[in-house]
Amino acid sequence: MHAEWTLYEQVAVAAMDCQRLDVAKDCIGVLSRQFPGSARVGRLEALLFEAKGDWAEAERAYALILETNPFDQIVHKRKIAIAKAQGDMSLAVDYLNKYLELFMADHDAWRELAEIYVSLQMYKQAAFCYEELILAQPTIPLYHLAYAEVLYTLGGLENLQTAKKYYASTIQLTGGKNTRALFGVCLCSAAISQLTKGRNKEEESSELQSLAAEALMKDYKRRAPSMEALVAGMLKNMKLS
Amino acid sequence: MGVECRYELAQAAYVKLALHALKHPAAAVNGLLVGRLADPAASPAVVSVADAVPLSHQPHHLPLLPTLELALTLVEDHFQAQGLAVVGYYHANARRDDADLPAVAKRVGDHIFRYFPRAAVLLVAGQREARGGGEGEQSRCRCSAIHQGFIKKLASGWIRWK
Repeated sequence: MHAEWTLYEQVAVAAMDCQRLDVAKDCIGVLSRQFPGSARVGRLEALLFEAKGDWAEAERAYALILETNPFDQIVHKRKIAIAKAQGDMSLAVDYLNKYLELFMADHDAWRELAEIYVSLQMYKQAAFCYEELILAQPTIPLYHLAYAEVLYTLGGLENLQTAKKYYASTIQLTGGKNTRALFGVCLCSAAISQLTKGRNKEEESSELQSLAAEALMKDYKRRAPSMEALVAGMLKNMKLS
Repeated sequence: MGVECRYELAQAAYVKLALHALKHPAAAVNGLLVGRLADPAASPAVVSVADAVPLSHQPHHLPLLPTLELALTLVEDHFQAQGLAVVGYYHANARRDDADLPAVAKRVGDHIFRYFPRAAVLLVAGQREARGGGEGEQSRCRCSAIHQGFIKKLASGWIRWK
């Protein structure tokens, strides 16, 4: 029976997603009559302001909630969302950093921050976020993969070598099924050999590269045989370069 | 001093990139434009864009290098057989009122420009929904073409065109 109220909340949010603000308003009305003075309903009302694009009113409403509940995580996140929606990325980053000082264990927030940094091409800072995530949850391949991609983008021999290691750990964590990571190993090897041309670095992981290439070819043969020749050609070129 | 160049966008290409953008309304999307220089002898030159290859819609993959490099290589190789090359790049911003060409789009554009000097970057922009109907979204395409390198004082940048 109590699920009814949660349903109103869910419908309200869904209606806002579809820009059916009239429906949202009705649902919120029902809830506020049932739970007068509730912070949870207050959040919905503020969310409705957001949906209308009325940022000032929304911010005011959230500030009010924070006065009585200064550690309301959801409200903090809405503030960040408003900054993002207005395109003020530096403000969003600012808020997000402050949020993370309070709620250091919020992994989704670290991911969000990393994504924003990447979109701003602030790769070093993004790398830092992924490092935090890998430290906190070392068995999640997603973070290893994302970290490797950022390192690759940063470039430079050391970053490429580290990237290769993290692509490799991704492969290990995903049982060799992650195509992106397999490609990543090949790309790193090619890029590293480009940079160390002429210098005699030890070939400790040429085996890794050929294994990855082999795994890729097998995968394409099985799942996308029409593309097999294309990938084979590209891999061959990479080994030469 | 502008580029004396006309661009033709095949319907198949346009539809693909518009659908790609519409499928992910809350994310930035990007992709490559594939085509050819229709008639090298003609002046103004005509670049005919035959097809579009969607790339990504994930905010944490879009500006990163590895997938982009892979895509460029594979797309080039694949379309070479049909005599087509990568001639441009399309990009749609996540926010509806964001009509600027983001830095990442400029960088990709520069990269493509090195291989195809008449590269164009297409920014797909949406218009405000009509009030009281809330029906669909119209896409208005704004094309930004590279500024010809003849102007020596300015570094070549991407200027809005048409």
